[in-house]
Amino acid sequence: MEVQKTATLTTIFSEVLANLAFMFTDEETAEPSAGDLWLETTIRYDGTTKGTLAFRCTREFSILLAANLLGIDPRDIHAESQADDAVKEFMNIVCGQFVTASYGSNDVFNLSIPKIRELPETPDFSQDDGITTSTLSADDHRVQLAHETIDDDAP
Amino acid sequence: MPQDVLIVDDSATIRQMVKKTMAIAGLDVGKIHEAANGIEALARLNDHTVAVMLVDINMPTMNGIQLLTRMKENDRLKDIPIVIVSTEGSKERIEQLESIGAFGYVRKPFQPEQLRDVLKPLLGVRDNGSTENSNTDDDLF
Repeated sequence: MEVQKTATLTTIFSEVLANLAFMFTDEETAEPSAGDLWLETTIRYDGTTKGTLAFRCTREFSILLAANLLGIDPRDIHAESQADDAVKEFMNIVCGQFVTASYGSNDVFNLSIPKIRELPETPDFSQDDGITTSTLSADDHRVQLAHETIDDDAP
Repeated sequence: MPQDVLIVDDSATIRQMVKKTMAIAGLDVGKIHEAANGIEALARLNDHTVAVMLVDINMPTMNGIQLLTRMKENDRLKDIPIVIVSTEGSKERIEQLESIGAFGYVRKPFQPEQLRDVLKPLLGVRDNGSTENSNTDDDLF
């Protein structure tokens, strides 16, 4: 079940990235550069099922995403200043599409306001199991997606 | 005469994208005002008159549904058409929005023509000057 959810998430991520930002994904993962600053954006959905999506990318990728969404040069000062906002809104859209694709359109889901934080170190890609996390390349930048279903009845 | 618009979304990126999309769609828009949540939107409406509002649902402080509900209770604001622009995909939520008076709904990510189709009856378009309303209300949801 989780494998299917992660596959759905990866597909939707790729579609939204292509449609919205004209950026494209590849299964072959680009090597992360040493010294890259990594960001993690998380958003929670809450309805008949609850869960969290996480997206990890470098600061450089977030600036590129903002530039593409805004139709400006990545060196434009606005690309950097709106990078966090761009990634958060991007994940808001991905999450909205994800819950509809995963759970249908009959149930109401509330989405949280996305949160973004700097990671203290590069994500551990060796833990990428393809079940809860998936790593791919987006415009030659390594990015990681994660999905977790929250079970309120769990002890 | 071009009419003013208010975009209400907590994401500055989306506000910018909506403005660009409206330009690409050829809509006949005057000044575009912006607000990051429902409270800011109500403050803008104290100072400005707008022909239509584009409103996100998922915002901090006062969300789009709360804003829509508040405006429908206000005689001065209740007739301003509100188009919801959101990631929301739930039929029940969309029906709820329609029942409390939203004029239309556009799901993110959107194409310029989707925005044009829902806003054309309210604003008209620049390319052919047509303000003909080709949509029924039902078409807008």
